Amino acid sequence: MTWDLELTKRLQHGASRFELQVSLRSAARRLVLFGPSGAGKSQTLKMIAGLVRPDGGRVRIGTRTLFDADSGVNLSPQSRRLAFVFQDYALFPHLTVRQNIAFALSGGWRNPRPRVHDARVERWLETFQLPAVADHFPAQISGGQRQRTALARALVTEPTALLLDEPFAALDGHLRQRLREELAQVLATLNVPMLLITHDDADAQVLADEVVHLRAGRVVDAPQAREPALA
Amino acid sequence: MTLPLRCLATLVLACGFSLGALAAELTVSAASSLTNAMREVAPLFEAANPGTRLQLNFASSGALLQQIDKGAPVDVFASADQETMNQAQAKGLVKAEARRDFVANALVVIVPTAATRTPAAVGDLAQPAYQRVAIGLPASVPVGRYTQGVLEQAGLWAAVEPKMIGAQNVRQALDYVARGEVDAGFVYATDAALMPGKVKVALTVATPTPILYPVASLASSPNAAMAARFVDFLTSPQAQAVFANYGFRKP
Amino acid sequence: MGQAWTALALTLEVAGWATALNLVLGVGVGFAMARLRFPGRELLDAALTLPMVMPPTVLGFYLLVLLGSQGPLGAWLDQLFGVRLIFTVQAAVIAATVVAFPLVFKAARAAFETVDPQLEEAARLLGVHEVSIFFRVSLPLAWRGILAGLLLSFARATGEFGATLMVAGSIAGKTQTLSIAVYEAVQAGQDDTANFLVAVTSVTCIAVLLAAGRLVPGRVPQRR
Repeated sequence: MTWDLELTKRLQHGASRFELQVSLRSAARRLVLFGPSGAGKSQTLKMIAGLVRPDGGRVRIGTRTLFDADSGVNLSPQSRRLAFVFQDYALFPHLTVRQNIAFALSGGWRNPRPRVHDARVERWLETFQLPAVADHFPAQISGGQRQRTALARALVTEPTALLLDEPFAALDGHLRQRLREELAQVLATLNVPMLLITHDDADAQVLADEVVHLRAGRVVDAPQAREPALA
Repeated sequence: MTLPLRCLATLVLACGFSLGALAAELTVSAASSLTNAMREVAPLFEAANPGTRLQLNFASSGALLQQIDKGAPVDVFASADQETMNQAQAKGLVKAEARRDFVANALVVIVPTAATRTPAAVGDLAQPAYQRVAIGLPASVPVGRYTQGVLEQAGLWAAVEPKMIGAQNVRQALDYVARGEVDAGFVYATDAALMPGKVKVALTVATPTPILYPVASLASSPNAAMAARFVDFLTSPQAQAVFANYGFRKP
Repeated sequence: MGQAWTALALTLEVAGWATALNLVLGVGVGFAMARLRFPGRELLDAALTLPMVMPPTVLGFYLLVLLGSQGPLGAWLDQLFGVRLIFTVQAAVIAATVVAFPLVFKAARAAFETVDPQLEEAARLLGVHEVSIFFRVSLPLAWRGILAGLLLSFARATGEFGATLMVAGSIAGKTQTLSIAVYEAVQAGQDDTANFLVAVTSVTCIAVLLAAGRLVPGRVPQRR
């Protein structure tokens, strides 16, 4: 079983309170969590990543237990070895593209130098066609390049799973399609399970091996009629 | 506002203004050591001269002189030593005729009550046991000048000066001793008498020149007559009795 | 005018130490206040800001009562280490540090609050540990705001008078800083000395501000 999730959490979304209860087991390599905004997708992803602590339950990916309320296991985000791509990428504005990608490779108190040279960094720069902008800062590059930088940064650590939070939400239609296909290609060469959350139908169609629907904090079992893609 | 209320308000305001017109305000700058005594003398003068209000201003004599020199509106100046008054006279701030001595004082060495060591003579202060001695800044504080005079005459200034903790005025020196921050201090006998629980007098020190306090009305005072009256009052039996209570001697 | 140069050296020494101490204290506390949430946080913030609004003499009095040989902390220090803080340059440093602390603390807190917490989350997920995150992500991004606070702190420490006079006294060569020297020169009618000291102080402050302006780190380049 690739994904084994049992998550409960009491949440407040705007004025309404609801209880998130996600129960999910899947062997899919590419899982898409699909639902409208406010369904609890982001919270679910954050709980898997360890950024938010669930009230109860467990998180298991592959053979690793990341969280288990009963046995008191709760790995810190640092130890979960997951790749996480935020919706607005969360690139470090004071570091160049190269330094961003190399960030996880230095464990000390100092950031990688601007002229850092590491085979792994160079490989990912190549994979995502970034060498031309390697010495630029995030503010100086395009949205698509930022998204790829965020991906490269997350993947350089050789993670055990890849989590993506609405990765194309900040991009316009045409670019979105291109990057979606690019991501599909990259994933084909990687041997890493992926969980992507989105409210865009097209993402599910292109990237998913399996789609799970989330609505008001709960996984909806019965197959739903396809939701029109929300802008 | 209703009519009766308006009438009342006008009446009150009128009274206030007229009282203001009658009252004379006298600003008196006096040396720090005179603080307590002056505060008791002032109401006596006010009672004897209805409509007059005294504004008292205390600091080291040197600081007061600078204020006056720079134009502070002072009517009467009482200093703790002749030197400061001489400077005032030299600058034309007071006239020789207006000046007179009104009290005398003594210089003492005090230590904190809890002190284990008490100097038997001024020379003892040169010993290593005494590391910090509170002395008024000689440049602006009379008690510091008296102290320097005494120590120089005894040939002790070179030994004691490195231990000196400078005080901005005599009351600060007193405070340093009272808090136990220094091992000994030079103040007036009248100051020491104010804190019997916190300081004890180790010895009385004879000064080369007697400690005589002069008082004078200022040449520039707009209330010359009232100022002169206050100066006279300070030598009256009534005022002198108050000074004697605090340990001041007759001039 | 040797007195003036001694006073200047002492003033810079005291202000330098106070600013260095506040760099550590102010940044540490500012970061904690920006990131931690707990009941009574704003009350604590107000208490820590108090030295900025309190009259320096009042502050000096509290320090005197605390650190004096009869005070709780002072008596303890004297008993255990034979240390008497009053009338020492260390007391002057303490007074300057306390008085200028809120300037660094508030600037640091505000600066850290502008740093997107998501960046710190991203760093965590990349496997970097908390202390490293502080030095590699939070601090570099907050640095300019903190530097502004440090400059103000240095200027405030340079001019500190009331609290310093209370706990450090005025001992030429040891605790007589420029502001105190000016005060005494005026009291003693030594206007020439006072003028000279004021000139030295003014030139020093301007020089510090100009030098600090050069040190502000380069901006992250914007999209052209």
